[in-house]
This record gives sequence, structure tokens and C-alpha cells, in this order.
Amino acid sequence: CKEDLLDPVPKTSVSDLSAYDTPDRIESLVNGLYRGVKNGNFLGGRYFIYNDIRGEEFLNQTNNGVTGLQTWNFTINASSNEVNNLWSSAYAAINNMNLFLDKVDAAPAKIATDKVANYKGEARFLRALSYFSLLNIYAQPYTKDNGASLGLPLRLKGETGAGNSNNLKRSTVAEVYAQILDDLNFAETNLPASYALQDLNVTRAHKNTAIALKVKVYLAMGKYAELATEAAKIVPAAAPFKAATGVGHELNANFAAIFTNYRTLESILSMPMATNDVPGTQNQLAFYYLPGPTGGGEFSLNPTGIYGSASFADTDDRKKLTSTSGTRIYLTKFPGASPYIDWVPVMRYAEVLLSYAEAKARLATGVDASAVALLNAVRGRSKGSVLAPATKADLITAILTERRIEFLGEGVRSFDITRTGSPFPAKGPVNAVSPSQSEYVWPIPTTELAVNKDCVQNP
Amino acid sequence: KVTSSDDGSALPGVSVQVKGTTKGTQTNNDGNFAIDVNANETLVFSFIGMQTSEVPVGGKTVINVTLANDGVQLEQLVVVGYGTQNRKDVTSAVSTIKGDAIKSIPAQSFDQLLSGKAAGVNINIPNGLLNNPPVIRVRGFNSITSSSYPLIVVDGVIVFSQDAGSVGPGGIAANPLSDINPNDIETIDILKDAAATAIYGSRAANGVLVITTKKGKAGKATITYDSNFGWTKPYRTFDLLNASEYIMMKNEAEKNRATLAGQTYSPLYFENLDPNGKPYDTNWYDYVFQTGFQQSHNINISGATPKSSYYFSGGYTNQEGFLKKNTFERKNARLNISHNVTEKLIFGANVTYSSSDAFAPNSGSLQGTNFNTGGLGRVPLVTAPNVPAFLPDGSYNINTTGALANTPGNLLNKDRSGFYNPVVLLDLDKATAQTDRFLSNIYATYNFTKNLSFRTDYGIDNQTVDSRTFNNPIHGDGFAAKGVASNYLYKSTRWTWQNYVNYNQKFADKHTVSATLGTEQQYTKRNMWSGSRQTVADPFFDTYEGNYTVNNNPPFNFFTENGFQSYFGRVTYDFAKRYYFTASLRRDGLSALAAGKKFGNFYGVSAGWNLSEETFFKDALGDKISTLKLRTSYGKVGNAGISDYASLSLYDFSNYGGSAPALYFSQAGNPDLKWETSTKLDIGLNFGFLKDRITGELTYYKNNIDGLILNSPLSPSMGVPGNSVAKNVGSMYNQGVEFSISGAVINNKAFRWNTTLNFATQKNEVTALAEGNSDIFGVTQLETANITRVGYALGSLYVVETRGVNPATGQRIYVNGKGQEVQYSHAVATGKSRWTFLDGTTAPAITAAADSKIMGNTIPKFYGGWDNNFSYKKFDLSISLIYSAGFYVYNGTKAGLHDQRFWNNASDILDRWTETNTNGSWPRVVYGDNISNGSSFPISNNVEKGDFIKCRNIALGYNLPANVINKIKLTNARVFAQVTNAFMLTKYSGTDPETSSNGNSNLAPGIDRNSIPQARTLSCGLSLTF
Repeated sequence: CKEDLLDPVPKTSVSDLSAYDTPDRIESLVNGLYRGVKNGNFLGGRYFIYNDIRGEEFLNQTNNGVTGLQTWNFTINASSNEVNNLWSSAYAAINNMNLFLDKVDAAPAKIATDKVANYKGEARFLRALSYFSLLNIYAQPYTKDNGASLGLPLRLKGETGAGNSNNLKRSTVAEVYAQILDDLNFAETNLPASYALQDLNVTRAHKNTAIALKVKVYLAMGKYAELATEAAKIVPAAAPFKAATGVGHELNANFAAIFTNYRTLESILSMPMATNDVPGTQNQLAFYYLPGPTGGGEFSLNPTGIYGSASFADTDDRKKLTSTSGTRIYLTKFPGASPYIDWVPVMRYAEVLLSYAEAKARLATGVDASAVALLNAVRGRSKGSVLAPATKADLITAILTERRIEFLGEGVRSFDITRTGSPFPAKGPVNAVSPSQSEYVWPIPTTELAVNKDCVQNP
Repeated sequence: KVTSSDDGSALPGVSVQVKGTTKGTQTNNDGNFAIDVNANETLVFSFIGMQTSEVPVGGKTVINVTLANDGVQLEQLVVVGYGTQNRKDVTSAVSTIKGDAIKSIPAQSFDQLLSGKAAGVNINIPNGLLNNPPVIRVRGFNSITSSSYPLIVVDGVIVFSQDAGSVGPGGIAANPLSDINPNDIETIDILKDAAATAIYGSRAANGVLVITTKKGKAGKATITYDSNFGWTKPYRTFDLLNASEYIMMKNEAEKNRATLAGQTYSPLYFENLDPNGKPYDTNWYDYVFQTGFQQSHNINISGATPKSSYYFSGGYTNQEGFLKKNTFERKNARLNISHNVTEKLIFGANVTYSSSDAFAPNSGSLQGTNFNTGGLGRVPLVTAPNVPAFLPDGSYNINTTGALANTPGNLLNKDRSGFYNPVVLLDLDKATAQTDRFLSNIYATYNFTKNLSFRTDYGIDNQTVDSRTFNNPIHGDGFAAKGVASNYLYKSTRWTWQNYVNYNQKFADKHTVSATLGTEQQYTKRNMWSGSRQTVADPFFDTYEGNYTVNNNPPFNFFTENGFQSYFGRVTYDFAKRYYFTASLRRDGLSALAAGKKFGNFYGVSAGWNLSEETFFKDALGDKISTLKLRTSYGKVGNAGISDYASLSLYDFSNYGGSAPALYFSQAGNPDLKWETSTKLDIGLNFGFLKDRITGELTYYKNNIDGLILNSPLSPSMGVPGNSVAKNVGSMYNQGVEFSISGAVINNKAFRWNTTLNFATQKNEVTALAEGNSDIFGVTQLETANITRVGYALGSLYVVETRGVNPATGQRIYVNGKGQEVQYSHAVATGKSRWTFLDGTTAPAITAAADSKIMGNTIPKFYGGWDNNFSYKKFDLSISLIYSAGFYVYNGTKAGLHDQRFWNNASDILDRWTETNTNGSWPRVVYGDNISNGSSFPISNNVEKGDFIKCRNIALGYNLPANVINKIKLTNARVFAQVTNAFMLTKYSGTDPETSSNGNSNLAPGIDRNSIPQARTLSCGLSLTF
């Protein structure tokens, strides 16, 4: 007779009761929070891909329903896999953060209180990042009506499956932003200024990461004065632009190198990949954008998109990260071959500079010289011609155009279109989508509506 | 002289004893004996495996005795779990199928052959992929999230029955029942009600299949050889557009699209010419399907001496499917032996070893694989016919750019021509499963007295499945990775130890009592480890053990254990074979449940009244009605299909960025989890007319299932793993009537016709689900077409209603959740809505979530089988029919067949709406349209009635005359020819309404999505007995 016949212990998992038992496990739990947002359906790949292919820069080449076809041609609906999977992945990540925040203070493990504060800063930073990312795709932009539109169900408590908290109303966009900013302010206060290893400076949040995200959040909200205040913390008034505190972020001299040497000071936050931690099938940036035989050639560059713009000269370093295959043009910014372990850039210093430039340009009455300097810093790094916009409007347009060039394939385009209230331009066989159309933002997934009876669909 | 009643042969070694004395002798080799006795004494003739005979001497000097084979007795026995009962004394619902009924029909496993053989047992063959486990349902679906698959007991031991192929890489079916050679099976008893199954307690809710393998029978050694040769082809395939129709249709679609969108049209598809100037017109089926050849050989040697019996068999089968490269090869051996060590002590063992090799290309025909890009059920349907498989230089028609853009034959085509060139996949990809199964039990029985015995039985079931996949570097799923090889090793190990006493006593000649009391312990360990490597160092490598430049994460590793601790008992009583009473009880403890909640009690009681044994009945009706027995049973059994650590909340480790360990919430457990219980009521009547020339059974049953473990859905925004937590919240019931009748319609010496008809009805209704009775959706990989909702049958079809094509616009008409008709145009001018009301005003978009409704049940309302056996002199003919009616199938394949992306279409698309054919049955074609046909979300246009009658098998045999076979020392020789899946009557437009793309799924039955068709097999064979 086997004594423990009725009491086998799992050999491949740990019980929830012992997950907080040691300092190492707590560190692992924090890594687990990053792993949550790094899910291939979320910031590990698809979130950025969707944000790019909704815009006009890419043409679908494979008609494949599981690689963003419906996102690209705006036939997406509430039961589409994209809509359901991204939502579920993001909220699964958020729940891990909430559970962690609920439990870490009472953890049996002996860890220093400042370390706990650091960890909580990371959790709240990631929660802000997650909600912000969800808002950008499932809700109307803040700039439309100062956030009066329906936002997201704002889950802030850990859920273990016990009890019943299925039903939760969607908070307004403004309410969700308020929480995001609260989390980011907490994170800025409590995060470490930097880590000993540059690897961690790129893959874990520190003070400047929280500040950089605040810059992006204020950009989405159209709050340029607040943006400028935040940006000023990490961008000096004049060139060379290099963060004076914390991790010394700066532009990397070689543009292409940012996407092969993932640990430059330009990368504020990236999702790290390795052969034993891959993005997963059909989630990988390189698979979508690279032509065969290396990539899947899912999406080629639209010749009438930014690729064909006069502002995007052939001599520009960034244009060198494109290639022609047959009659099609492909983006080669992410060069990895299968298993496609290019790190996924979430935020780069260049984005902070251009956001800062845009805020300054919009706040000024005329042409803001420091904005032009920031713009030319980014542009000049890639041997783009020096720009001297004549009017404030020209400057803003130039900055927005520069963002299309600089962040092509980095998931910024859709964000820029919606926050500025612009229509999605036509591309190939797909017609334009105006802000008043329901396709302008994604619907709330059916799986949520089916269970969360207080949640309502987007109009 | 002592002879056998079977064939008159002499019986050597028969014990001949003078009753009441120790005086005795044995028969010699010729069956003769001599003994000194007094005229008033009685001789007792006994022999293992034979019925004992007592003969009064009465002054005779020559006594000739014939002994009847115990096999005759065995046929009347029913195996009821830890014991047997006489068929006549059974008061519970048990159906018996003889091994002989199934042994010569080509199949991979015996369960595939049980369709229509027993009332209330529904068996669906999901499709023609070799060794794909059939869907077995005993009295309907008895669970929602746990398995509805019956418990399988072989020679008293509960064995593995989960499809081992579904555990590993997917795509390779590996039915564990195929490790049991159908030729070794003596009987299959199917226990259906609570009284019969309660002795198996917590695992009995889905019924129990008790398999008894053959034992040696008294007499000289018998050698039997059976063989079988067959040719198999797909039964039904689709009629697709040819090349010129395809080009015309796709360009028309593109023209419609451009026109509607206000854009300029330019054609996409063109005639491609071969070197002789002839346009390519490829039927992709030709490259994927074939006529497969199969053969089986079985030999067994059996016999018994007074103290020992033995049965030894060896089998070999090698089968090719109609799907190219799909093969199944099995070698197996069995030894069943028992030996009387002393008068009181018997030792025995049943030992079997089986080794099988299967090769299964990516068929897309198993659960979770239906939308695989390389699935060969779908590839021939979607690939453009105007491109060839091979280029003129003999190379594969593939280009070198991109994995998915790596489409066959872009030649002049401007858009894609297909997903993959199937020829490359068939030539270069590999997917194999090699299974080793050691299944055996050893036992000892000690008879304390004639009435009291003790048995101990130790069983081992070890199963190892070595699965290997390779995706080639030049084309298909392995292209981007430059070749991927993965190996999976799945081991499941189980031991079972039973100890029980049996007691039997007859009192005062009228009261018969028997009792069984025992314990059982079972331990099961299942684990898998795996490896995956990619980027071949050289194209020469096609195994994991070769050389690669990248090591991937192991695709699938697990380690899990469970244990059962059980106590059981049974008491039966009958009074003068007229009144019967049985009660059984089992207490099961299962490790998967939380501490303090591990044990559950299960029971069954039954009572019977054998009216035909009553004197008043015999006097009144005895000459007409030979048997009439009323019986009823009631009881509660359980379902233990609970995952091994379901009660625990768990965190799993992975890593972040390759090196940092990452711990995350992976399972929301429920410490309150209990057994699912099934309360079964059964009321039945057994009858026989004309001295039991006609016999039958009529039964009503009702199963109330409570505490169903459901993944109670949680809002995805709660972020709990799986968006659900398992709870005992559901309930449902199954009820129905079963009727079977069999008899000898004609019983001449020369011509005989025996027929057996069975009929069963079933009604399933879900009565409670998780909190708020939330619906549960059934998923077919990427598509959701089933719903489980209170008030409806499990897994009903849930689709958006469509009402044909609007003759005015050519657009598909949909009905939204508010009952309004809306229409869809895939292409519209800028700013216009794709969805409009029929008056052209903008309508809200149809979504599956908001606008679907229940449009049909997938569980048949009635089903059954009809077997006919004819014999005329030396000829015999058997015809087996099965039927099923009152259910609907979601023909998802039909969605794909009318998809307006590059996919080829069924030729009925020619009747699409055009300005000159406004009554067309299909909408106006618009290039890229994946919504009007149901590819994007399921629509009622693809829901079809599934009613069918199918001829499962026709076999014609001829027994060689005795004078011929005697010359070659044979006792029996039969040759036969047969057709499996001979014909089918149905209005269903897909390949087969039996198709089950989701295999054994409870939640998503009745879906036909991109599966390969069923097989039709023509076979012939030979059966010899020496």
C-alpha cells in the first residue's frame, strides 16, 4: 500500500500558499509581472503590430485571418480573436500586478522595505502601462471629449477566482487616466533610479521609465504643459540631449544598432527575447514585416505611405532598414530570423524627444526653436536633412511626419492617428475610416460582455 | 468414452470419479477410461472448462458421456465487475457483444466496430484518419467538462483509455484501445445503469465497457488463423471548381469588389500554361488521397488440460489510410493462462504486449487542429486549381520567398494560390507515434470452501508513446524556422491491486445469496518530456537527433500523479429464480480532491421479478411467452474526470527574457471541489417468445447529473487564468427509451435468417450552469459554433440566422438579435457602412455575440442499428446498418468552400447572385469576403440536418465443405469478402454527418470543419481452424 496514495504533491508548480515564501520567489513574481505584459498577444508583439497595421503604412500580403487581416482591413468585430486575446492577455497581466500589490506587504519572505517599495513601483508602473495600452485601442481618445467616453473596467484588486466580482462597469477614459497617472507618480517616487546591469535598465522599470511613460500619457491626453514638465526631468534644455538623472538615456549614434544591440542607452523599455523565451508563433515583429525566406512577408510597406514621402530620403539611415523584394517593399528594422528573438521596443528616448518637441511646438505661439532642435536631433542622427519649418503648423506637421519615419513598425502610428482625431487613411483596397465610424476603435470583446453584465459595448 | 459435445472429438484427461468416494481415474488419449464400480454408484466426469456431468452407472458396462463446453455456459454469463452473474439473473441494464461479431472487420481498434451493436450505445467514427478514437456515448453525454467516455475494464482491470495522441503534439491519433487485438476479445459487456455500474463507483457515470479476453477451452489444442486484406478509399469528396471556373469566379469577385469600393478593377487570376501550351487544371485531391492497402494476420493456439488452460495469440496488422502517408502497424502478443496449483488454489495471468507504429500527416481532422494551415482536410479545398503541383522541370511548385507567401504556383496569379503545396508536406514532413503497451494482471484465487473464495489481483498498465514530428525547411510550417524537429515521450504507468472475497450459498433450495466484499487501490503516473530543435544544419537531417543550430524550449512537459483508494461490496439475493434483489456500494477516495473532501459514497440497488417462472403465468401464457421479467434499478454513481491538482491554486515558473525566473498565477483552484454525481433510474422488461426464439428488451432510463464541474466563467477583465474557476455547479439530465429485439426469422436447416434490431431515444437537457446560468461556448479551434445553455441540449448549435440572398442586392440577409433583417456587402465606398437594413440605411454590424441564437441540437434524438445474418448451406451473409436522426450538424467546411478569398470553391457557387441571376442561391461574390459564407462567424446557412442511415458493413462468407477441409487436416475454413461503409442515405451535403471535428468534446459536438472524409474499405479474408 502506498502511503501517500491520496496526497501527491505537484512537482511542476508551486502552491499559491508558498509563492511569497522566499526573497527569490518574490523577485520571480516581479519578473512574472513583466512576463505578463510580454505575452505575444500584448506587448510581446501583437499590440504593436496591430497599432501599425491599422494605419496606412502597411499592405496585407497574405490574406491570413489569423495574422491581423481583420485589424488591417477594419472588418474586425467583437468576437474576433485579436480583440479577445489581447484583452484577456492584458487583464491577466494586470491581475498578477493586483495580486502582487495585495500580498507583497504581508509576504512571509524577509525583504527590506525599500526593496518592497521598488517592487510595488514596478507593479504599478506595469499596471499603468497595461491600462494605457488598452485605452489606446479599445476606447475613444481622451482628446475627443476630455475623456468623457467609456474607458475600461478598472480592476485594482487581485482576483483569485473565489467570490463573484464578474460585474464591473467601465470607468470613463478620464477616470482610467487618473488611475494611470496615480500609478505612475507612485512608480516615479518608489522605483530605483537605475540598476546595476544595463540589461535591467532596459527590461525593468526605473524612475526614468515612469517619467517617459508619463510623457506619452500626457501626449495622448493632449496635456502639453504637463508633458513638458515631465519631459524636462529627463531631457535637458539644449543639445546634447542626455538624461541627467537616473539612467543616462540618450540617442544612440547608430540607428540600426538599436534593433540589434538591444541594450543601448536609447532603449527605455524593451521586451527581452531569447531562444528559450520566444514571442510565440505569429506574434513576432520580424515574421510579420520581413519578406521571405527569413520572415513571413505578412505585411509590406505601402509605397504611398510614409515610405514614398519626400521627407523620407533614400539617404536616410532609417530608409536603409527597408528592402525591395520583387515588386514589394518590406521593413527590415527587425532583422531576426526564426525564432525571431528581436527585442520589442516599448519606449525609446527618441520618442520622448519628439513628444517633448511636439508639446513645445504646440504650446508656443510661433515656431519654437527648442522644438526644432529636438526634431533635428532625432532626424540628424539618421542623416535626415535639417528641417527649418516656417510656421507653427509646419513644425507640428514635420514632427508628426518624423514620428512616422522614426517609429515605423514600432506601434506608434495608430496612436498618433487617434490622439490627433485624424481619419485612418485609405490603403490598397481598404477605404479610409473616419473618427465617427465604429471601426475607429476596437470593440469590447464578446467574452467580456457575456459575463460582465455591467460592461457595455462601444457605440 | 468421453467426447466433447462441440465437435464429438475425444477428450483426454477427463477426471472420472465415483461420487462420494476418492476412487477415480482419468481418460486416456482417445478419451477412453475403465473403472471398477458398483451398479448403484454414480460417476462424476469433470474437466476444466467443461460442465461437470454426473452419470448413474445403473449396471451399464459401457458408458459414453458427452461433456458440454463451459463456453456455452460462459455465453450465458455476464461480467458485472469483480464477479459474474448468469444472464437470466441479471436485473440491471447490461448489453453484451460477442467478440466473434467484430473480429474480421478491418479497423484499428474494437470500439470502432461497436456502432449499432447495442441499444443505448452510440458510437461515432469522427473521420477516416487511422486510429482516431471513436466517440463513444453510453446513454448520452453524462458530463460537460469531464469526460463522457465510458470506463474501460480489461479482464477486471481499469485501463487507460484517453487518446494518447491528444496529449502530445496533436495531429497524431493514438487510441489506447487499439493496443487490444480485436481477435483476442471473447465478449464486451456494456454496463449501463447504476445497479450494474455502482461497483465501479466514482468512475461509472459514463457506463462501463467490460472486456473479457479469450481463455483456453478444454480439448486438444486448437489453432486458429485469421487474415484480412483490404483496400480503402475516401467515401465522399467535394465537387470543386476547375481551373477556368476558378479564374472566372475569382476575377468576377475582384471586379465586384473594385466596383463596389469605387476602385479600378484589374484581374487577379490567369490561365497558366504547361510546356505543351495546355492550361493547368489541378485536382488537388489527386495529390492527397489514394487507395490504401491493408492486411491483418492473427494466429492463436488455445486449449486446456484438467489443471491448466492456456490461450496464446499473436497478431500483425499493417494498414494504409486513404490519406497519403497515413499508416498504422501493430504487432501484439497475448498469453492468458491459469493453473490449479492445488484443489483450492488457482494462479493465473493475462499478459499482453502490443507495439504499434503510426504515421499521420497533418490532417487537420483532430480536435484543435481544424484550421491548421497545412491541414490536409482543407488544403485540397482551398488551393487554386490553375497552378500545378510540380513545375515543368520536375521541381515542386513553390517559390522561395516567405513562409506563408510561399504559395504554390503564383505563376501568373496576382494574389495567393493557396496556403501550402500539399505534395511537399506529404513528401518531406513527418509525424509519427510509436506506442508500446504492456497490459497484464496476475491473480490468485483461493477457494476456502465451495462457497467462499478469496481473490487477489495485481494489474499493470504501462503505456509509452514516442511521438516525433518534423517540419521540413523548404516549405510549410517548418519553412520560417528552416526545419523543426520535435520529439515527445509520453509515459503513463498504472498499477491496480484488488483484494476481494466472493461468497455464494443456496439455502433451502430456494434462497440464493451471493456477496462480494473487497478493496482496490490504484496509482497512476503520467508524464511527458519533449524537445524541439530548429534550423537544420543540413537538409539531410529530418530527425530531432540530427544537427540543428537552435534549441527551442521543450514544447510540452508535464508530470502528474493520482491515486484511488476504494472499498466495495455487493449482495445479491434471489428467491426461487422469481424474485431478485441486488445492492452494491463503493466508497472511493481520489487524490485530486481537497483534503477532507476526498471520499465519496456511491451505490446501486435493483430488483427483478421473473414473471415467467410463476406458476400462474406458466399456466396462462407459458406456451406463448417464454420469458417475461420486470426489473428496476436506482443508484448514484460518480465521474472522476477531475484534473489531478484541480483543487489547488497554483503558480507556475517560466522566465523573463531567457534567464530571469518568472513566477505567475497559473491556476485558480477550488478547494470545495467534489465528485460529479449521476443518479440513474432504470425500468426494464425482458421478454422472450416461442421458446425464446424471439427475445428482446425494453427499457426506460433517466440519469440526473448533479454537481457538474464547470469552468464557471469569469469576466476576462478579472484576469484569472483561463478566465474561469472549476466548480460543482451544473446539472442536467438524460432520458430515453431503449428497445432491442432479436430472433431467428427463418430457421430452416439450409436457410437461416437471424436479425437484431435496436432503437434508442435520448433527450438531454441542461438544467443548471454556473452562477447566473452563464452559457458555455464550445470552441472549434478558431471558431465558436456551439453553446451549452440551460433549457437546451448540451452543445447546441449557436449561430447567426441567415435568410438567403436578397434578390435586389445579391447580399446575404442576416437576422440580428432584435429580429431585424440586415444585409452585408464586403466592399463599400468610403464612409458607407458594410451593414445595412434592407432599405439601405446603416445598420449596426452583426456580431456572433450579440446576434447568434440556438439553431439546432447536435445530439441525435434517436439512433440504433439493425444487424441481419443470413446463412444458406455453406454461405453466410451479414448486413449491418446503423441510423441516427433528429440532429443537426454545423457544416463549417461549407463556409470554407464558399469563401471569397483566394480559396477554391465548391462548384455550386456557380449559382451565385449576378445581375442576370437574381435568384442565385449564393450571394454576389466579392473578393476577400469571408463573412457572407460563415468563415468569420458561424451562420445558419451552414446548419444542416444530419439524419442518416448507413450500411456499416456487408460481409459474404463461404465455409469450405468438410470433405475438402478434412483432407488438409482442418476443422473449419471460411473465406469472406466485405465492404465497410458500403452506402449511406442522407441529405447532408458535407462528406459525412457522423464527422466530429472535435472528437470526444462534450461542448463542441456536431461540427464538421475541414476534416478528411470517412473511409470505404473493401476487404477479403480467410479464417482457418486446425
